Formats: sequence, structure tokens, C-alpha cells
Amino acid sequence: MPVIKRRMIYASLLMALVLQLFPWSGWGLYLRPDFVLLALLFWMLRAPQYCNIGLAWFAGLAIDLASGSLFGQNALAYAITAFFAVVYQRRLILFTDLQQTSYVFLLLLINQFTLFLLKLFAGAESPGYYYFLSCISSILLWHFVIVRLFSPRGRH
Amino acid sequence: MEYQQSPKFFVRGPSAFARLIMFATLSLLLIASDARFSYLSEVRQSAVSLLSPFQWLANRPVVLYNDFSDFFTSQANLRAEVKRLNSQALVHGAALQELKTLQAENEHLRSLFDASKTTIRPTKMAEIMHLGSDPFTHKVIVNIGADKDVQAGQAVVDAAGILGQVTRVYPHTSEVTLLTDHDLSIPVQVERSGLRAIAFGSGRDYGVNLPYLPANVDIKVGDRLVTSGIDGVYPKGLGVAKVASVKVSAGSPFATIVALPIAGAQNFRQVLLLDLDHKTAVNEEVSKVREEEQLSKISKGNNNNKGVKKNAGH
Repeated sequence: MPVIKRRMIYASLLMALVLQLFPWSGWGLYLRPDFVLLALLFWMLRAPQYCNIGLAWFAGLAIDLASGSLFGQNALAYAITAFFAVVYQRRLILFTDLQQTSYVFLLLLINQFTLFLLKLFAGAESPGYYYFLSCISSILLWHFVIVRLFSPRGRH
Repeated sequence: MEYQQSPKFFVRGPSAFARLIMFATLSLLLIASDARFSYLSEVRQSAVSLLSPFQWLANRPVVLYNDFSDFFTSQANLRAEVKRLNSQALVHGAALQELKTLQAENEHLRSLFDASKTTIRPTKMAEIMHLGSDPFTHKVIVNIGADKDVQAGQAVVDAAGILGQVTRVYPHTSEVTLLTDHDLSIPVQVERSGLRAIAFGSGRDYGVNLPYLPANVDIKVGDRLVTSGIDGVYPKGLGVAKVASVKVSAGSPFATIVALPIAGAQNFRQVLLLDLDHKTAVNEEVSKVREEEQLSKISKGNNNNKGVKKNAGH
């Protein structure tokens, strides 16, 4: 297993943030994968000693600032998702790729749903069911790009 | 666990659940303080300027693409556009001459009626940098901010009509909430009949609603809604929306009216920010009443100085 450096984690998170801040609009916004959360989950499974709930929380806070939403909404959603990822981390790394993908999909759904509830409590109007499309684009990106390109344990 | 000298692999700091509780509490506190009180606006401003290089970087591809396509516009396109603009200028020039005589006449008539003069407000030109990145809200970010004296509350218009209102001002950018946002409402008037109403952003499917109007209200599909100008934020007579559907159901005393905004953040990149007008009709009325109060105080002494006080404070 190659050595994972802290710098690498931060660099990839910043890259994900830039991708997230790309001016998506219209359907692009609904189809935008949650790059930052995918990067966080990727590192949480591989380097839980560096990437934990705290880092997820701060990343969520950055997203809150960038999107102009209430302070702490994305942060809370990311923290909850990170908790479910970290709790089962030791079992997850023994899973096959397909099993891992389905668990990550569940995590993405948890994240979207938490955010959905928080926004509704804060008085926003529901944007409709296609809001959850982002989960599907995220999981496609995870399964076909992220895991294949960057997985340090290689293909088997 | 502590007394056993466990190997490094097993040491993971506080348990995941403890961390979750800690961070969840922290974010709930943040949400509550941000929603209820505005303590955090300074924190937010400084943090946004920390994030701005990343935002700049993320916008680069789009900016480069625009520059690139501008550079390679064909001559035919440019000539067609010059032709169109020339004919437009001709039409506008004729209209402008008419407008000047009408303005002079209007001013004269208004002075006869002793009405307050309508002032043309100073404006600031801005460019939309990007649309907001939150599917729950309808917001855009424009490229001028506190450095150019932008204030929260300014109305934002484009060539077609009202776009929205400035809601947050950052050092170099500001956030504009669009008409269609759930939290924005705007006083309007039906151009045809002069009926006043308030348009509320629907928050989804890019429309505005006109609730609380009776089922027999005189509004038809295709009616133009313009600003009524009684709020002091939006000047009178700017286009807001066009009525798209009017539904009356037997079960409800109110009509369900949906209108689609005329201006579109998708159509134009240049927008105008209208300066806040402190000389509104209401303010002038208040100052007039105050002057009268002063005069009456001087002439009559201090025995009747109540009654007009409730008008103050605007």
C-alpha cells in the first residue's frame, strides 16, 4: 500500500472544491456530482487517520460559504455522512468494489436527504425529485472514474 | 484501552460517535445563530474573500470560452449585429426625442400639480459572474461589491426588466436574489388595469405567484406586471413578469395566478444596480410633516407636538 500523505488529501479536496465551484447552471446544477463529498469518502476509506469527521465538517463549511447557504447546513450533512463512513470503515475496505459502491451510494443518499431536510426546516422550497439526480451522477463518477483511476490497492 | 498500550493502528482518538455529537452540536449552533441573528456576516465576508481565488479559478474555463468565442466571431455575424444595432439606434433615437418633449411636458404638468418630481436614480453597471450553486435558492453573483459602494437592498435590472435585489455584499462581489427565489417578494401593478398586488417568488419552476387575490379578480393570461413603486426600493413602471396562467377552483376563495419573469439571468450578462432612493414619496411626506411640525411648534409653543410622530422613522 503506497504511503498516503496529508498534502495529497488537501490538494485533492481543494481540486474537488474548484470543480464544485465551477459555474454549473440549470440541469447542470442538478446533475452536478458532489465532488467534495466523493473526495472525502475516498480518503475516509483509505486514510481514516487523516480524513475524519472533522475534516468533512470543515469541507462542508467551505461549501456553505461558497454557496451562500446558512452556516453549517452542508457541514452537518457531511459530518453525519462521514460518521456512517467512518463507523464501518474497517469492514468497508474488505468489501468488493461493487459492495463498496452500493454502500457509498447509500451514504450519498443520506447526505442529500439530510441536506434536503435541513433546507426545508430553514424555510426553502423543495426543488423537486430531480434534486436527488446528483446522487446518481456522483455514484457513476465514483464507480467508473474515481475507483478505477485512483485506487491505491490497484485492480484485481 | 488506555492501560493496555495498544498498537498505533488501533489508536484513533475520540470515538466516531463522540466526534459526530461534537460537530453536529457545533453546526446546529452555527445554523441557529446564522438564521436568527446576523452575528456572522463579518466572518462570512472574510471567509468568502479567502475562497475567492478558488472561485476565480473555477470561473476561468467559462471566461476563457467566452473570450475565445468572442475572438472568433465571423465577420458576417458582426455585420449583421452592426446592422441590427444601427436600426435599433434609429428607432430609439426617434423615441428618445419624443421622450424629451414628453418629459418636459410632464415636469411642467407636475409642477402645476405641485407633485414631487420623479428623479432618475444613479445606476451601477455590473456583470453576472456565475449563477448560485445551490439548487434550493435562485441567486446570482455579480462582479462588484463593497469596494464600489454596493448596498444590500439595491434593485437589480436588466434590459427587459427587474431581475431581483442585492441581498449580501462581499468585498468584491455581491449576491443578487432573483425574483423567483422563495424569499423574495415585490409589489407590482397590472399594467392594463392598474390593480396592485404583491408577487412572491415560487422557489421552483422559475415563476412568481400572485396569492391572496379574489377568484373574480381582473387578471388575464398575458397581462404585464410592472413595479408599482410604492415600496421605495424599485422605481415605478419597470417590467416584472407576464401572467402565464390564471386558475380558479371552486374550493378556494382565491385565484391561483402564476407569472413568468420578463428579465432573465440566463439571457443577459450585464445588469444595472439602481442606487437606493432616499427621496421616496413616503420620505418626502414625512419630512414635509416634520417641517410643518417645527413651524407649528415655533408659532404655537409646545402644546401640540403629538400625532405626527408615528410617521417618523422611515
